[in-house]
Amino acid sequence: MKNTKMTLSARTMNLDFVRKVEKLSGTSVRRCFQCGKCSAGCPMRSFMEHPPNRVVRLLQLGQYERVLAGRSIWYCASCETCSTRCPNKVDLAAIMDALRKCSWDARGPSKESFVQLANRIFIENVRTYGRQYEMRLAAVFNVKSGQFLKDIMLGPSLLAKGKLKMFHQKNRNIHEIEKIFSRIEELRRKGGAL
Amino acid sequence: MSRIGVFVCHCGENISRTVDVEKVAEAARGLLGVAHACDYKYMCSDPGQALLKKAVAEHRLDGVVVAACSPRMHEKTFRKATEQAGLNPFLCEMANIREHCSWVHEDRDEATAKAIDIVHMLVERVKRNRKLQPISVPVTKTSLVIGGGIAGIQAALDIADAGHRVVLVEREPSIGGHMAQLSETFPTLDCSQCIMTPKMVDVANHPNITLHTYSEVEEVDGYIGNFQVKIRKKARSVDMARCTGCGVCMAKCPQKKIPNSFDRDLGMRPAIYVPFPQAVPNVPVIDRVNCTWFKSGKCGVCQKVCGPGAVDYAQQDEFVVEQVGAIVVATGFNLYDISEKPKGSPIKGYGEFGHGKIPDVIDGMTFERLASASGPTGGKILRPSDGREPKQVVFVQCVGSRAREKGISYCSKICCMYTAKHTMLYKHKVHDGQAYVFFMDARTPGKGYDEFWRRSIEQEEAVYIRGMVSRLYQKGDKIVVMGSDIAVGIQVEIEADLVVLATAVQPRQGAELLAQKLGISYDQYNFYSEAHAKLRPVECATAGIYLAGACQGPKDIPDTVSQASAAAAKVMTLFAKDQLEREPIVAKVNERFCVGCFACKKVCAYGAIEEKEIRDRQGNLVKVVAYVNPGVCGGCGTCQATCPSKSVELDGYTDEQILAMIETL
Amino acid sequence: MTAQKHVLDYSYYPGCSLHASAKEYDESTQGLFKALHIGLTEVPDWLCCGATPAHNVDELLSLSLCAKNLELAKGVEGDLAVACAACFSRLKTTQHKLEIDPEKRRQVEFAIDAPFADGKKVKHLLEILARDFGLERLAEAVKKPLSDLKVACYYGCLLTRPPEVPELDCIEAPTIMEKVIEAAGAQTVSWSHRLECCGANFTLSRPGVVLKLSADILASARDAGADCIMVACPLCHGNLDIRQQEIEEATGEHFGLPVFYMTQLLALAVGVRESKLGLDSMIVNPLPLLKKKGLV
Repeated sequence: MKNTKMTLSARTMNLDFVRKVEKLSGTSVRRCFQCGKCSAGCPMRSFMEHPPNRVVRLLQLGQYERVLAGRSIWYCASCETCSTRCPNKVDLAAIMDALRKCSWDARGPSKESFVQLANRIFIENVRTYGRQYEMRLAAVFNVKSGQFLKDIMLGPSLLAKGKLKMFHQKNRNIHEIEKIFSRIEELRRKGGAL
Repeated sequence: MSRIGVFVCHCGENISRTVDVEKVAEAARGLLGVAHACDYKYMCSDPGQALLKKAVAEHRLDGVVVAACSPRMHEKTFRKATEQAGLNPFLCEMANIREHCSWVHEDRDEATAKAIDIVHMLVERVKRNRKLQPISVPVTKTSLVIGGGIAGIQAALDIADAGHRVVLVEREPSIGGHMAQLSETFPTLDCSQCIMTPKMVDVANHPNITLHTYSEVEEVDGYIGNFQVKIRKKARSVDMARCTGCGVCMAKCPQKKIPNSFDRDLGMRPAIYVPFPQAVPNVPVIDRVNCTWFKSGKCGVCQKVCGPGAVDYAQQDEFVVEQVGAIVVATGFNLYDISEKPKGSPIKGYGEFGHGKIPDVIDGMTFERLASASGPTGGKILRPSDGREPKQVVFVQCVGSRAREKGISYCSKICCMYTAKHTMLYKHKVHDGQAYVFFMDARTPGKGYDEFWRRSIEQEEAVYIRGMVSRLYQKGDKIVVMGSDIAVGIQVEIEADLVVLATAVQPRQGAELLAQKLGISYDQYNFYSEAHAKLRPVECATAGIYLAGACQGPKDIPDTVSQASAAAAKVMTLFAKDQLEREPIVAKVNERFCVGCFACKKVCAYGAIEEKEIRDRQGNLVKVVAYVNPGVCGGCGTCQATCPSKSVELDGYTDEQILAMIETL
Repeated sequence: MTAQKHVLDYSYYPGCSLHASAKEYDESTQGLFKALHIGLTEVPDWLCCGATPAHNVDELLSLSLCAKNLELAKGVEGDLAVACAACFSRLKTTQHKLEIDPEKRRQVEFAIDAPFADGKKVKHLLEILARDFGLERLAEAVKKPLSDLKVACYYGCLLTRPPEVPELDCIEAPTIMEKVIEAAGAQTVSWSHRLECCGANFTLSRPGVVLKLSADILASARDAGADCIMVACPLCHGNLDIRQQEIEEATGEHFGLPVFYMTQLLALAVGVRESKLGLDSMIVNPLPLLKKKGLV
């Protein structure tokens, strides 16, 4: 997939997808003229198979499957360096968010599972408890990712320093969270939501 | 005993880096007849010239040698300074120790020794220089403009508006050139015809402009201010004076299936035709190659239907001789013809793009005609092969241009912009179509140009792909384009309905032949050479001849019009004076020794040598000798080298002077 | 009732980390503001802002969570003081996006079932200290100048970026952290990695990323001659402090750089008791350094 030839035509270039990304991100994909400044400053470049500029380029060519199949979008740290320095005001960080959402909604065509898993647990925690509990987040992540011993050496010292809370606090607004989640789901069912 | 001053220039570090200038000055001081020698950082600067003037007065100098750069650079400067110091300017000469010495040598000692030799030679020459007075020649205030495209039209109108007569010569039956063929023009998308045709009409109606269409420059003689030009007016077979331009002849001509080259052979025209409806003059011409009457002597319909009786099959080519003072060359360009490998062209051809055998692979100008409202499809974008509307169009930039291996290393300059324009025109006409552009770089330096290019991508949704196309081939009714997007490093394949190649801009075919007639220089590609790339960009090295438009190098319309107006301004500057001062470096005949063999006359490139009768007091012919017309003599010295009796010499370069120079070595 | 009247009053959004892994940030903030007579009233029952995971995959959720918190904050007087750089960024981004995009605003208002509360000013603690309170007043309040302490101020990604959103300081060459800590008498070092990314929340999913990026930051600060690093973000702190030993093991380099929250250093300077600074919560022990400089 990565290096196979691109056959370009109105049929093979999914420009509807591009328009969706533009709507979600509120930025223009076509504006990018491939100067490469985003890739030049990206701290995560060395972890990505498609550097940021190539992600945009593949989008311009309507090749979204190639983008979503890769790990690149999941290795973006959302540091906003690209968006800050882009000479064309292409908000690439927002494009990355939009792409991740598309990938997420498509139930993750990417092989990158750890980052997605961490995100999933984080959001589930927020839904359940209203706030984030790092201890629980780490523990569940380790169990679900099968890395039971990950960061095991950090645990005791963090506990000793009082940095890990075992129990969550009571929150009067906890039911509000569930309402927000369910209203968003309702909006999506009806269609038209972001 | 001469009293010569020698002034050695450092030229910043240009000379002093390799030549020991102080040593040169010191050596000059020891030469016989040198009264003063010194060195200075910049002799051409104001203080440098003041130094020279002061020395002339202080040391009562009678000759000046400035050891500095080439005389082409600063001879005028120093002769003027010498004149201001009270000496005849022609007693000042330059010793070129920069181009001829410091720039071409590395060894300091050897370069210094050579510089001393050069200075010594010039000292000997100046000792034998004569005081000369400038020669005045009259200026004929008529200008010839060669080429009736936008460059020639603009130059002609400007000069004519200044009150001078203009002779405009155009090879084709109508003026207008390439600009008349264009649909819309970047970066504002003005309709080309709309902004062009009023200017064409102005040319036709201007009282100061004499228009010769369907004509070519045959011979050019003379020099700045005084050229004689012989123009061939090709037989039009239609009497210009009688024709009313009613068009009945064209409507009735039975031969209607002749490809119209104005429409890049996509449309058809009759044998008697005007190339396009807005033609100026609106007088048809008979294409004698395709006309039935000229082929077989039968038909004659056009003559029968012509009310005013303007059709004249017996018309012959005519010759007109015009006296002009200046010439503007505006012969424009040709696009590389993709149909086959052109003979004698530096281009090696594009076998990988099908050598023009694929009907739906066209060039940019053909696309212009397809997009033009007055074109063969009435402005509809339709494929040449089957007349269908193409839904996928691929544009390929840099075909021929920037391809050293293909024979051309230069950038054609206009293609990036017109391709961006084409994608827009296409999108405006075919809303559901997709344009793709393969490009290596987008070169858009110009006012509003980059914004225009970005618009084609961001608003008109053209897909630009950085990377050259490797190959094109026909597959069914599609053309497969094999490319690569080098930003992603992945191969790209597009099945196109139409492919448009942005082919290289080349000089007019036969540009070099005209250059030879005019005596102007041209580069390896046959583009005409300007005198100085930066400081004299519209003048030829040959005095009195100026350049406008793409004949000098690829140019877009704004640049062409600017250069045409600049060339016109140069002509007006020349015409501002009644007399022209010329350098008096001309040959003179010693009539006592001349035997009248006229070997000199045979070799003179300028036609400056005349025969002069010498008569005694009673009027009896004593002998016929050579006479050099100083207004015409170019000062080349060929006569001097040829003369068997050594009776003709060039001022400033006499045998005596040359021998004295050699003897110093 | 406080003995002295507050000079300024704020509503306060600490964020999840300040109640857990970054509790020393919360403690020292409370201590510092009390000493400066600035009132902080925590928004009752605030919720998580969604942080990076939410905006990464579901912008609508992220915007809604922040909008909900801004609505909750409306119930407390004063501009909203935010300590965590990530929460600050999310709240500011939400305000920005909902201002410019009516469609997003409509959907968010549906999700939180309330009109979006514009007008609540969101301020990072740095802004409050440097601008509202003022550097001069801050310098006057200093009882124990931090002279001799060479501080590398680390901004990370989200305090200044992207343009038009946080509007805290110059995006590429901010000075606000330096100005604040210099007001407390400290020296600051000029260094290259002030604005580079530490690896952020990859600390959970891909810690290898953090090891590499944070190692570069630590090395840059050390090479610039810093005694310590000062941060204003719990995630940066976690990566530079908690993982520092791990980074040393992985790279074979020695850093030994204590990583302070800016409020810890400022509180120390204005004379807040040592036990209120949360120094014992730091993984890289700061006490040897502070003792050496005569600050404890």
